[in-house]
Amino acid sequence: MAHSSFSSRPRATLLSSALTIVVLVLTSTLFPAAQKRALHLDGTPADPFLENAGKPVVLLFVRTDCPISNRYLPLIERISSQYAAKVAFWLVYPGKTASAEKVRQHESDYGYKLHALRDPEHALVLEAQVQVTPEAAVFDAHRRLLYHGRIDNLYEDVGRTRPAATTHELADAIQAALTGKAPPPNTPAVGCYIADLE
Amino acid sequence: MSSLLRTVIACLLGFTSATAAALAKHEAKAPQLLPSAPKQVTFNRDIAPIIFHYCAPCHHPGEAGPFPLLTYRDARARARQIAALTSTGFMPPWLPVPQELRFADELRLSDEQIALIQEWVQQGAIEGAAADLPAAPQFAAGWQIGRPDKIIAAEKPYTLPASGSDMYWNFIFRSPVDGTRWVKAIEIRPGDKRVVHHANILVDREQSSRRQEKEPGAGFPGMELKIESETFDPDSHFFFWKPGTVLKPEPEGMAVRLDKNTDLVLNIHLQPSGKPEKIQPSLGLYFTDKPATLFPLLLQMENDQQLDIPPGEKHFVVTDQFTFPVDVDVLAIYPHAHYLGKDLQALAALPDGSRKTLIHIPQWNLNWQAVYRYQEPVPLPKGTTITMRFVYDNSSDNIANPSDPPRRVLAGNRSSDEMAHLWLQVLPHALPGVATDPRMVLQEAMARHNVDKNPADFEAHYNLAAMLLARGAQEGAIEQFEQAVRLRPEDATANNALGASLLAAERSSEAIPYLMAAISAEPSNFDAHYNLANALASQGKFLEAIEHYRVSVRLRPDDANAEANLGGALAEIGNLREAKLHFERALEIDPNHELARENLEQISHASKDPKP
Repeated sequence: MAHSSFSSRPRATLLSSALTIVVLVLTSTLFPAAQKRALHLDGTPADPFLENAGKPVVLLFVRTDCPISNRYLPLIERISSQYAAKVAFWLVYPGKTASAEKVRQHESDYGYKLHALRDPEHALVLEAQVQVTPEAAVFDAHRRLLYHGRIDNLYEDVGRTRPAATTHELADAIQAALTGKAPPPNTPAVGCYIADLE
Repeated sequence: MSSLLRTVIACLLGFTSATAAALAKHEAKAPQLLPSAPKQVTFNRDIAPIIFHYCAPCHHPGEAGPFPLLTYRDARARARQIAALTSTGFMPPWLPVPQELRFADELRLSDEQIALIQEWVQQGAIEGAAADLPAAPQFAAGWQIGRPDKIIAAEKPYTLPASGSDMYWNFIFRSPVDGTRWVKAIEIRPGDKRVVHHANILVDREQSSRRQEKEPGAGFPGMELKIESETFDPDSHFFFWKPGTVLKPEPEGMAVRLDKNTDLVLNIHLQPSGKPEKIQPSLGLYFTDKPATLFPLLLQMENDQQLDIPPGEKHFVVTDQFTFPVDVDVLAIYPHAHYLGKDLQALAALPDGSRKTLIHIPQWNLNWQAVYRYQEPVPLPKGTTITMRFVYDNSSDNIANPSDPPRRVLAGNRSSDEMAHLWLQVLPHALPGVATDPRMVLQEAMARHNVDKNPADFEAHYNLAAMLLARGAQEGAIEQFEQAVRLRPEDATANNALGASLLAAERSSEAIPYLMAAISAEPSNFDAHYNLANALASQGKFLEAIEHYRVSVRLRPDDANAEANLGGALAEIGNLREAKLHFERALEIDPNHELARENLEQISHASKDPKP
């Protein structure tokens, strides 16, 4: 399969245009309804599922100017490095206003190493059924959505935080994806509405 | 020969304080909704006036708000967020519920305004006609009321970690003035306003906080501070910053004294942002030539003693009641609890039977604590009783509970401990026909109240004694110092104060054991050595007195009284030659030292005219 040849490469910046076309064709065959595309920071179309075939995929929806989302970045970075070998992690910036330049600046301000995607058309937002930033979506290796919702319960509401989280839905959902156990129930996340970015 | 008696008054007044914020004055006009016809709500006509008045003061570049709300585009991109957060009352942040006594610059949306925003979003967040848009709000760039007379920056920055729980850090600012200046305003620039939740200046006239710094200038962690003071110089002003604060100078006549040796301690509350943040606050000081003529006072009601909250307890009530002994104007109020605080209120019961709510916060949130200033001073006559009633929730339903599972919580300075404090800034009215400072009457009444409330509280007895002594009520003071010493027999300061009071009452033989106890508790206590020397001298035990005067002079080489009294004691035993040296030294330190001059003259007279 075309995608297997670059499954280990996280970024599409290495793709030749010919390969990109192959991916496009493939995608449209498999998912004829999906017209909208997420993008790598260099502007090439991205499909985090194809690029990490065979692995569970975690999408973390964030925003450059959402304080709650920013406050979660160190935790996101920690969890992603903990599971890096077995699970593919992507940061996703929904909305048209998150330009590649803004995302790169955000990346360097906060010093994280995760791969970032832009989702101007909300292709991944729809597929992951997320509503706010920060919100996590965990897919198994077969692209089945196991969990979407809050990362943990640090925030009860905007402005109402616990001293420390006491439930850890994202970590539990990742465990479920790896072991086949039941994932936690979807739990609404607290943060900034993605719908405002439509 | 007379010997000088020094009475040491030391007052331990613990203060955590803070001042109020002020936001733009004009009320936003909520447009009238036509009751019948469904109308289109537009940003330009209906929403912009609300956003510009209530949101923009924090939501503009450089301020605490995480994004600007200055244009239609800004608001459109946050429309649902705005609708959600205004409907829950989270934004704009304003904790007290409406009451008859209005606060200055209340930042609360009316139900109509909240409904209007909901409607606007439901209708698709329409922009509307350009002609309807009011002028955009203007905000001062840089210092808010012009260039300060002095700007002081924190010596060393503090780096806030990228993640973790809330952090409280204290920066010490050394006084930038040589003599005495009067300060009419202090602008607090807390550093990056997106991570600073609130900041609060404490005036430390004895530089007592410096002891907590591991390295000078580095600051120190801690949520609550205790400032020690040795004179009756009570805290009088709140200097408080929270997001959106618009600086207002202190009212005419209420400038704050700043001396060369005064430290300003800035206590700031920080919340990690996701990346390390370097915080280096600065203060802008504005001076006035007009010394203070009005002297407000920060009165602290509290009942930390009652705080012993069992785990799981959802409704733990703490109260305190205080009756004003003089007429006062209440200028501002600052309730303070930590994370278990739930419902905080203060009521005033007037002598005529009427009642007024001073403040009621039904959903306390430490993160949005603030000083609230009344729109107009609240006059309360003598005999008015203030009741503070705080309710705490130590169950796991309280998500802010620092302990999981909940544990027993007592009073303390750490954020996991609790507090039950209510500060009132009051301006006492002058007492008709009496020269007594009404602040002292108030403080004494408060000190007596604290003793009654908690007879086992060392500081309460000590403070009451100090107040009594300050107005010359010697016997009462001695009684209270005795109580203090009984509670802490090893305390050098209390033993010294009791000894000094007994000495002042000419009960020197009773004084001596306490002064000796003070010295054995703290051998380098200058006051105790000096007072003991005086006590011994008054009993004619000059040789022993000389010994302690010598220690005093060694401990504090620039004290003219100690030198003069040492000279006096030496003269008493006939050592005129050495006595002369010490009188001269006293005059060197203080050229106007009368006792030293008289004694010196007497010695030279005696040496010229030896007795036959």
